Amino acid sequence: MAGKSGRTISAVPVRSWKKLILSWEGALVVIFIAVLIAGRIMSPSFNLNSVMFMMPQYLSQLFIVFPMAFVLIMGEIDISVGSIACLSATTACLAANAGLPLPLMILVCLGTGLACGALNGFVLTVWPELPPMIVTLGTQIIFRGISEVVIGAGSSLKYDSDNLSPFAATAGPVPVVFFAVVVVAVLFMILLSKTTFGRRLYAIGSNRTAAKYAGIGVNRVRFIVYALAGLMAALCALFLLTQIPAVKSDEFGKGFEMNVIAMCVFGGIATTGGKGNLFGAFIAGMTIVCMRIALGLINVNDNVITIVIGVLLIVSVLISGISRFKGKGKAKKKPKSVTAD
Amino acid sequence: MKAFLRKLSGNHEISLAIILVVLFIVVDILSGFTFHGIGNIGEIFKNNSLTLIMSLGMLCVLLTGGIDISITGVLAFAGMTVGMLQKYNVIKNVPLLFLIAIAIGALCGLLNGVVIAKGKVSPIICTLGAMYIWRGLATVVYNGEWASGENVAGMSAFGNTAGPYIILAAAFVVYFVVMKWTPFGRKVYAIGSNREAAQISGINVDRVEILVYVLMGVLAGLAGALSVSLYGSAQPTMQDGKEMDVIAACVIGGVSMSGGRGTVVGTLLGGIFYAVVYKALPLVGLESIWQNLIKGVIILAVVVINVVSQRISRRQTLARREI
Amino acid sequence: MKKLTALLLVTVMAAAILVSCGGASSGSAEYALVTKASGNAYNEKEAEGFVAAMKAQGITSYVVKHPEKATVDAQIAVINSLIAQGVKSIAIAANDANALSATLKSAKEKGIKILTLDSDVAVADRLTFCNQAGVQEVGQALIDAVYDIASGAGEYAILSATSQATNQNAWIDAMKAIAAADSKYKDLTLVEVAYGDDEPQKSTDQTQALLQKYPNLKVICAPTTVGIMAAAKVLQDKKSTVKLTGLGLPSEMAAYIGNDADHSCPYMFLWNPIDLGKLAAYASVALVKGDIDGTVGGTFMMGETQYKLTAVEGTNASEIILGPPFKFDPSNINEWKEVY
Repeated sequence: MAGKSGRTISAVPVRSWKKLILSWEGALVVIFIAVLIAGRIMSPSFNLNSVMFMMPQYLSQLFIVFPMAFVLIMGEIDISVGSIACLSATTACLAANAGLPLPLMILVCLGTGLACGALNGFVLTVWPELPPMIVTLGTQIIFRGISEVVIGAGSSLKYDSDNLSPFAATAGPVPVVFFAVVVVAVLFMILLSKTTFGRRLYAIGSNRTAAKYAGIGVNRVRFIVYALAGLMAALCALFLLTQIPAVKSDEFGKGFEMNVIAMCVFGGIATTGGKGNLFGAFIAGMTIVCMRIALGLINVNDNVITIVIGVLLIVSVLISGISRFKGKGKAKKKPKSVTAD
Repeated sequence: MKAFLRKLSGNHEISLAIILVVLFIVVDILSGFTFHGIGNIGEIFKNNSLTLIMSLGMLCVLLTGGIDISITGVLAFAGMTVGMLQKYNVIKNVPLLFLIAIAIGALCGLLNGVVIAKGKVSPIICTLGAMYIWRGLATVVYNGEWASGENVAGMSAFGNTAGPYIILAAAFVVYFVVMKWTPFGRKVYAIGSNREAAQISGINVDRVEILVYVLMGVLAGLAGALSVSLYGSAQPTMQDGKEMDVIAACVIGGVSMSGGRGTVVGTLLGGIFYAVVYKALPLVGLESIWQNLIKGVIILAVVVINVVSQRISRRQTLARREI
Repeated sequence: MKKLTALLLVTVMAAAILVSCGGASSGSAEYALVTKASGNAYNEKEAEGFVAAMKAQGITSYVVKHPEKATVDAQIAVINSLIAQGVKSIAIAANDANALSATLKSAKEKGIKILTLDSDVAVADRLTFCNQAGVQEVGQALIDAVYDIASGAGEYAILSATSQATNQNAWIDAMKAIAAADSKYKDLTLVEVAYGDDEPQKSTDQTQALLQKYPNLKVICAPTTVGIMAAAKVLQDKKSTVKLTGLGLPSEMAAYIGNDADHSCPYMFLWNPIDLGKLAAYASVALVKGDIDGTVGGTFMMGETQYKLTAVEGTNASEIILGPPFKFDPSNINEWKEVY
């Protein structure tokens, strides 16, 4: 099969070492290691301690990568996640400042995210002909707007409590958020590759009509995925609050949706649906994070960093896209081909 | 009468026009009858001419089933470049500056188009990466300085003439004609409706697709120069995030995001709708802080109403067939 | 084979980018300046002053960082990378007063001297604040300008940045407080505070809306560099009788400043952002060398001038005030537009 791991229902590729290296995920691992080595050479400060120190701030976005991957695998898009993070952080602040205990505050925060995601899901399933991009654009503005009204004119909404410290803790140099991301990643990977639910996502993404006729409750699955996206955005907000202990409605979580989509795509998930897996997205996210950290440590202009990431994104997709194209031709000749190249 | 009503709810443009008229009247009343003045309507068009102009390019892109979210990056890059050219007295000739901005836009669009059409990269990803690149280049050009006020006096003066209106009107007329009566227009629709069929019937899909992105770039570059003219300043952050406004204007105007459906008239109405909302919100006595929220609600409401009305019309059509 | 080539290409590219970018960095940095964001000319002027002052002191181990966007998120990323590099001091123009506290605390734990300029954070999180002009002074200057331009009575409106912009809100609050306290301003009516979000288009829309909503409006006060530019163009193009004042960069506003009907802004204020950057540079060095420790009463030299750490009103935290806001009018604008 192709360089881009096309995990579809019909053909699950047999893994051999050669294949693993030549798959897009394998390539990403190599790139990831190359970034680490290059970073180490370029900056004396690029070591385990400093990387782990800088990581939490970027890492919380990775929570959203996994549900976003689900959304993309279905061939859809959700650009409201950044705003959901903002609104969830707002309610979390209000809850904490009202003196609610930690578990209750977490409940409020996650509940807000879940409700926002469910609202997206509701609108999109009641009127399934609506394009997800425009619906989530609308809710993106609405969620942030609510946050703006709630916070009101004046300064940012401060998180007035120290009870978030368990989320900011570290085990040795490794921050808690890292473990949390790994746990979430594993859960989502299991959900995607080992359950019927996961296979249904691929089915919906490959051919929605066929999925419907095959008896899949397409709208139910979509609703769950959008709700999950909301929930994870709230989890992201929770961890981000340890880094940014105050919410400004016009910037908290802004642009996360595009960062996250970039990570997914870099990880080999096709925005047209039906393709990609979470390991790729995870390693791609880590690569981008480490690249940003390395470029930051050698004091490269922040705009150059954005240009670099833009170029990397296009070139990587271009290259993997071409190889996928070739692979497609081969697959046509030899359907269900599992032989090595 | 019934047939007339049926036709109304079935035709997207007409139903949108009605919503627009109602909205206009409501806003006029709420703002104490200051909204219908000719000056005010002029301002609506002028202030939103960037969105309106770019929505034409976006229409074609969406018609082919693509999307371009790099447009405001292109706008900033082109606008910033012409701003700097004026600031350092390299070129002061306004028409020439517009041409330069357009050329920059065309190049950016060409790059997008080639990567998408020849490299088979999905449009949202290609333009997402491109957005970072163009915006970054705008900041490189900016190099720590804005161009504004008397630096861009020539363009700024042009922005205060009827020029922007003429450009806006010309763009819409040209697109209306091209999309309706030329082979290119029909090819764009054909690709969007069924790419394979278009290919088999001999259309050079890649070439049309590249051209569509080039045109998008041309309009974004034009909007860059226009932006400098209208606001008398060039900043690398200009219009950041406004690509979504452009897409929203198209979708409200009935352009399908999966390609093949959408008209120039619909896009114009969608753009005007967006513009009226923008203009009306600060006027109707709503506190500044509520405006973003209301804007989101209106966008969502319009797309939902649109779908509901389509459903009703479809049901009516079905009912008629049964009879 | 093709795929292998592709893989190699991407890998080489990723590595090459890092390596090539690395070539530009020079040595390890000790003194750092973090501005609000890239893409804003005002911030660049601060950086210009900072760099000039460092060079004047013979220091080469400095670094200036412009975060990618004007958000705390981008700013925290930048500060974290500076902490990891082990700099000695960070001067920061904070994007928010509260949101940086966690990051600045961890910087403090690492022994890094934190000072702020342009906009402050909570006083516990920094040693001192290079204040471009006292909040009271700015508020006073602005309300007096409104009073003067409106000839003592009438309606005025404020066009601000975003609804949660720290500096703008402080100045607006000061204006309101001063106007409420003194009966001299009793005939001035503040009709609305509009937010242009520092975007030219939204600022333009908001300005036009203000004109339309309040036919008796006399003055618009825009205490933000982007907002004032947009408003100036609207008023000047319309030949409106409404006049403008506020805070703006002279180089960007020169075309609009004048006392006649053809110009929309009779005069406006600002401080010298280059000097503010210089002040931050000298204060950073003084803090690292131990000449000052951030307590009130300390003094240090900036070239020939002595600056003193004074107390922030109502606290025992310190600040260094650059001077009163500077007035730009037709008599001096042509001279200053070349400077910043």
